[in-house]
Amino acid sequence: MRKRIAFAAAAALAALAASAPAWAQGFKPTRPVEVVVHTGPGGGSDVLARAVALMMEKEKLLPVRMQVVNKTGGGGAVAAAYLAEKKGDQNTLGFFTGVWLAGPLTSAEAKVTLRDLTPIARLVLEPAVIAVKSDAPYKSLPEFIAAAKKSPGQLKQSGGSVTSRDNVVRQLLQKSTGAQWAFISFPGGGERIAALLGGHVNMMVIEPAEAGEHIRAGNMRVLAQVTDKRLPGFPNVPTLKEAGFDVPAVPQVRGVVAPPAIPRENVAYWEDVFHRLTKTASWQKFLADNQFEDGYQNAAELTRFYDEFTGRMRGILQEAGVKLVR
Amino acid sequence: MDILSGLMQGFAVALQPVNLLWCFVGVVLGTVVGVMPGLGPPATIAMLLPLTFLMNPAGAMIMLAGIYYGAKYGGSTTSILLNVPGESASVVTCLDGYAMARKGRAGAALGIAAIASFVAGTVGVLGLMLIAPPLAKVALAFSAPEYFSLMAFGLAMVVLLAGRSMLKALLAMLVGLWIAGIGTDPFSTTSRFTFGRLELLSGVDFVVVAIGVFALAEVLACMEGRAEGQALPVPKGLRNLLPTLQDLKDCRFAFVNGSVLGFLIGVLPGAGSTIASFISYGVEKAVSRRPQEFGKGAVEGVAAPEGANNSETGGALVPLLTLGIPGSGTTAVLLAALVLWGFKPGPLFISENPSLFWGLVASMYIGNVMLLVLNLPLVPLFAQVLRTPGFVLYPLILGISIVGVYSVSGSLFDVSLVVAFGLLGYLMRKLDYPAAPLVLGLVLGGAMERALRQSLMMSQGDLSILATRPICAVMLSLALLILLIPSFNKLNAWRLQALEE
Repeated sequence: MRKRIAFAAAAALAALAASAPAWAQGFKPTRPVEVVVHTGPGGGSDVLARAVALMMEKEKLLPVRMQVVNKTGGGGAVAAAYLAEKKGDQNTLGFFTGVWLAGPLTSAEAKVTLRDLTPIARLVLEPAVIAVKSDAPYKSLPEFIAAAKKSPGQLKQSGGSVTSRDNVVRQLLQKSTGAQWAFISFPGGGERIAALLGGHVNMMVIEPAEAGEHIRAGNMRVLAQVTDKRLPGFPNVPTLKEAGFDVPAVPQVRGVVAPPAIPRENVAYWEDVFHRLTKTASWQKFLADNQFEDGYQNAAELTRFYDEFTGRMRGILQEAGVKLVR
Repeated sequence: MDILSGLMQGFAVALQPVNLLWCFVGVVLGTVVGVMPGLGPPATIAMLLPLTFLMNPAGAMIMLAGIYYGAKYGGSTTSILLNVPGESASVVTCLDGYAMARKGRAGAALGIAAIASFVAGTVGVLGLMLIAPPLAKVALAFSAPEYFSLMAFGLAMVVLLAGRSMLKALLAMLVGLWIAGIGTDPFSTTSRFTFGRLELLSGVDFVVVAIGVFALAEVLACMEGRAEGQALPVPKGLRNLLPTLQDLKDCRFAFVNGSVLGFLIGVLPGAGSTIASFISYGVEKAVSRRPQEFGKGAVEGVAAPEGANNSETGGALVPLLTLGIPGSGTTAVLLAALVLWGFKPGPLFISENPSLFWGLVASMYIGNVMLLVLNLPLVPLFAQVLRTPGFVLYPLILGISIVGVYSVSGSLFDVSLVVAFGLLGYLMRKLDYPAAPLVLGLVLGGAMERALRQSLMMSQGDLSILATRPICAVMLSLALLILLIPSFNKLNAWRLQALEE
């Protein structure tokens, strides 16, 4: 009899122990979390996702491991569609960039937009700088703009596709100054830098960490930074506004989404995990090493950001003469 | 002197037992990854990244680089034995490698591939060590117009890959170029020929097409001709399984050609090892004294591309380490790894991290020796695969092909695509259309289109940009020359005939 009571008590305790955290904290992932990115190994989102997975492990923020899954193609469309198929799956996340918002505007096949997925958090804003080769005649952005005005369409900028941030910055600057220069797309980031260093183009919009080494080696000069306030790594370079150009500083944005139809408590859990991640020392070091800005926004703020971003992109693409499908 | 002391320092790093171990682990993993169709070095390196944080950076870099060049050794194995390309850079190896296997010379083909890989791999490291910084500057002179002319030169090789009918070869090439156009326009991001399919937005993967038209078409053809369904001849005795002295003699030029071309093309950030292997195969055939043997099991036809794709690794590390510019998927992952370890890859990387750079260079000499020692004894073992009777072997090839394709993208759509291309390859075979020009068009098409459009953006639509830049002009003339070779031959034959009459 005594034994029985003890057993019952133990069972009750065990049940309590099992249910207590569930009651206190709600959802917790039980299997390794699959993190979907739209770039191949080595691409921007892939590197960020792998770095985040490492930091989660180091800072013990997650009870399970994160596994990066590469679903490349269609400028994010394939990864977004994959996430949409995982409707209700509690062990899957995706890392998005602005391309996920811009892609569906020009591609009829990219049926899944970020709005169809569950927003979790915005993590990073990647600022940029405007760089020229160190032997270029332009010492400042106004000088470059003046040169572009003198011979319209003759100067060249290397960059990504029309929906890339590089082109957005160009379109905004062209619109506000009336200057015109050519935009040459290079799908690989390395090729863009090679085209500038080889003197085949005159200017490019480049990530600060990448430019930093070429500046140190004396190969590049920075004319302006595409930021709201000066980056620690470039204390003497004016921002666009300081250089006299009233255009918004367009950052590259990266964040986290989940598949559709995820319970509210899961969203709260992930918001919390990523928010705590952004407070860790590892994260601060990661941001500083890469010269990224902390872009944390929670799910509600992220949804408002979607509209603002998509609206601006739509206008820019229309002006660039790109056919919009949505 | 600088180089010598650097190399001494490098060997001091690379010969530390723990680094030797990592080098060995890297090259073994690389060989395995290379042998398996589908799974490639970029994915493997990315998967191992978390592990490398527990290692010192030199050991980690040595191991990851080992995977990179080790995969190039393994890539030829399935190309030769099963007509299933293990890596995209080993597609062209199928042409003569598999033909050799059918003649009972699989061992010789595997052996020559390993030897060519060793020679060219070593030359690639020598190039990286001796001329990396000046060469990186030269590579910067290459931009869109030069890439266009390089691709045009490569495309002209179609005349060398043609069978009996030039017209059929050109048609197959055009189909290849069209397939290269499927997907998302890289400039305007609008979709082309996607038929509303999401899966086609990223284009048709080149490996899918190559496995379809080579491996699956082969299986279908063999199923039809039952007599050929028997096991292939495999000679007995180790001596008969390795390349002969005559083979090595025949490959003298191929070793040089593969090493030099592979390295030079590797240095260009916009080309890559697949293009390097195709171009060195073409050049080998163009200068060969017995071009009629190519495609029927010429040993040079294996040595040149296998060499080229190995020395390409040395070349590809040049822009990565001297400028921080990655030229391919694998070098992009290596770059990401360097950044995650806290390095700043860029123009100052080598001078600020000499022991890492020289340690890597020294480890690559050691790694290449390890790979040769590792791969040669495997040759007789692998060659035994062909003793398998057809009713086991062909279903096996089918299975390996499908798993390989699935593992590239994890998409079932690609599996149905490979079946479609298998049927296309079979039809082409029946109607005597060569498959190689189709693959050539597909390999070069995307890069060629981009380069042409970039060139015209640079010149504001003026085509003369392609003729006025010196490197461009030279390569386009070479392309023209290659295109004209067959007509010269015809002219000559006609002249001789006229003389006789």
